[in-house]
Amino acid sequence: MNISRRDLFHLAAIAGLSVSSKDVFAKLNEVNPETFFEFKPVGTVTLLHICDLHAHLKPLYWREPSTLLSAKELIGTPGFLCGKAFMQYYGIKPNTIRAYFDTYIGFEELAKKYGKMGGVAYIKSLVNRIKAERGADKVLFMDSGDTWQGTAVGLFTQGKAIVDAQNALGIDIMVGHWEYTYGKDRVLELVNKHLKAEFISQNVADDMWGDLIFKPYTIREVGGVKVAVIGNSFPYTPIANPKEFTEGWTFGIQPERLQKYVDEVKSKGADIVVLLSHDGFTLDQALAKMVKGIDVILSGHTHDPAPKPVIVDNTIIVIAGSHGKYLGRLDLEVKNKKITNFAFKLYPVASNFIKPDKEVENLVQELYKPYEKQLSEVIGKTQTILYKRDTFYSTFDRVIMDAIKEETDCEIVFNPGYRWGTTVLPGDNITVDDVYSMTAITYPDVYRFELTGQQIKNLLEDIADNVFNSNPLYQQGGDMSRTLGLDYEIKITAPTGKRISNIKVNGKDLDPNRNYVVASWGGNLYKAGKNAKKFRPVYDITIDYIKRVKVVNPPLKSNVKIADIGCGCPTEEGKCL
Amino acid sequence: MNRRDFLRTTSLTAVSTAVLGSAAFTDSFGAELVDNPPPKKSFDEALKEITGGKAVSDSDKVKLIAPEIAENGAVVPVTVEVELPIEQVKAIHILADKNHNAKTMSVYFTPANGKAYISTRIRLAETMNVVAVAQLADGSFIKAQKPVKVTIGGCG
Repeated sequence: MNISRRDLFHLAAIAGLSVSSKDVFAKLNEVNPETFFEFKPVGTVTLLHICDLHAHLKPLYWREPSTLLSAKELIGTPGFLCGKAFMQYYGIKPNTIRAYFDTYIGFEELAKKYGKMGGVAYIKSLVNRIKAERGADKVLFMDSGDTWQGTAVGLFTQGKAIVDAQNALGIDIMVGHWEYTYGKDRVLELVNKHLKAEFISQNVADDMWGDLIFKPYTIREVGGVKVAVIGNSFPYTPIANPKEFTEGWTFGIQPERLQKYVDEVKSKGADIVVLLSHDGFTLDQALAKMVKGIDVILSGHTHDPAPKPVIVDNTIIVIAGSHGKYLGRLDLEVKNKKITNFAFKLYPVASNFIKPDKEVENLVQELYKPYEKQLSEVIGKTQTILYKRDTFYSTFDRVIMDAIKEETDCEIVFNPGYRWGTTVLPGDNITVDDVYSMTAITYPDVYRFELTGQQIKNLLEDIADNVFNSNPLYQQGGDMSRTLGLDYEIKITAPTGKRISNIKVNGKDLDPNRNYVVASWGGNLYKAGKNAKKFRPVYDITIDYIKRVKVVNPPLKSNVKIADIGCGCPTEEGKCL
Repeated sequence: MNRRDFLRTTSLTAVSTAVLGSAAFTDSFGAELVDNPPPKKSFDEALKEITGGKAVSDSDKVKLIAPEIAENGAVVPVTVEVELPIEQVKAIHILADKNHNAKTMSVYFTPANGKAYISTRIRLAETMNVVAVAQLADGSFIKAQKPVKVTIGGCG
């Protein structure tokens, strides 16, 4: 059976099926991964999409996870695919540029062959090409957020440098998450005075009156089609990040309100409805079942580089990786308010193969100029690959935790399980910029405090439930906090509160009644503890530590034992390849 | 002047009206709680007090809107609407099944209220189910429930 995208979509539309079987997509995977700039246009609407740039204006190395585990029901589904399971699901061949961009397999060797990824000047060049081919009136460029935060240049300019870059890229519409950690006044200042894009969100409201802070939607004419775009900022912003940044604002998924706006834009004559979201790929797949009438979801937050859309009921859901590695392109043919055909591609932003846009390249240089000397300083070298991501452990986090342990003289270190950062190849220099790329937040202080053994156990269970809850609506889309000095065993598929066992603190069984000296950064953990003492910002501690030790060599092996799944990248049913 | 500005400049009376919506009469909240903490009341006890032991069936006529994960467990926004003519709805009761006192709020309606709708904020001591029970004029009870998670924070 030879099934085209068009047939598939009609099939799904008529039968109301959720099409995400790997067999169907394997057949659809007719694009040779090596011909990565080819695209056969469809219809009159082109939606361009980036998400989770994390303020990376320049190309970088970014290794995808080697462990990406989830609740039993979600194992091996889009959103929880990595390594060989990812390659099998999407039909990707080893040693290709897609394998290099989308998986960790062969990363270090392929990095030498294919070079750095992303960079706004390179994205701009692709956008120019697409607009020239299609006609600018047929193109709408959207950004799912987590754009302003994640690097030194983002932090030092309180997001302004990144807004300048977005303006140069020609972003039309955006939503947010980490944007809010610059504080609500700064967000409003950047949105109202500097950002050329429209910042929309139907799920950010005044917590007393429920009045919306931003426009909930915008309707744009694209290629003769009235496209309504409704925004969802990250629903759990005040839970995952300190509340004080958005004091007086309330978030949440707000599916009921979303349904109301879908109906409203349709009554205003919208031909198709797009949800621009920072919900997370898995949450959006669940949301598409709850809200009727959304044609397309441009997702973000969970950083998945999904080369094919997921179709849930009649909704096409796509996501575009992270760190500027990809430019998503979704072409739509729309007839009588229905999508009758579509084509999708994630362009890998392979900087070695793309000529950068001169103007944007100059802008980036200019934006970096005040900080260039400070940020390019070499502070040490690494023997092993330094990376972020993975569900429980990653090497760059280990270096940061070593630094914190030395500085604070504690027994246990907790390090946040963010999914943004950078990658440094073995043998390469570590710069100040690299450290900021792992730690550039507006609440960088390290705290030392005391927790009882029981509190530590409860805390691990609480965090595990935010990561491994079987209902996507209750997941926060990050990874487990990393720990140093504390090892444990986890049964991911166990019920809430019963996942963690065999907890050891520096080799000894955790005593529930004893007080432990803990240090952490990037969260509100210290508020649960006693005798909290504030230390220096995490980037200063880490930079000084690397300068002192000169060469880092963190172990590659995780300190967490997984009891019920035998590998980091299982396929459906938890099988390992 | 938009609605927000307008409301901010009006009196406290307007504020309570806005928050309580069409509620005609409420019990279970008041100043006496400060001096006399309520006795422990389990979910089953609280439910029995409301229904007198009658069966309560799940119904999609009861629309319960609450967050999946609470931003602040001390003030969790909860909205309940019973999609039936007001004449058929006698009261809406809100229960929080693991709170010290599971009975959180009861709101009684008259036809003058127009529709059976309340919007309020409740305290949740930990992760639990919020249950909205509608007491109908014919003496029957229908309900909807939603788990709300109370967590220390994100995955960092």
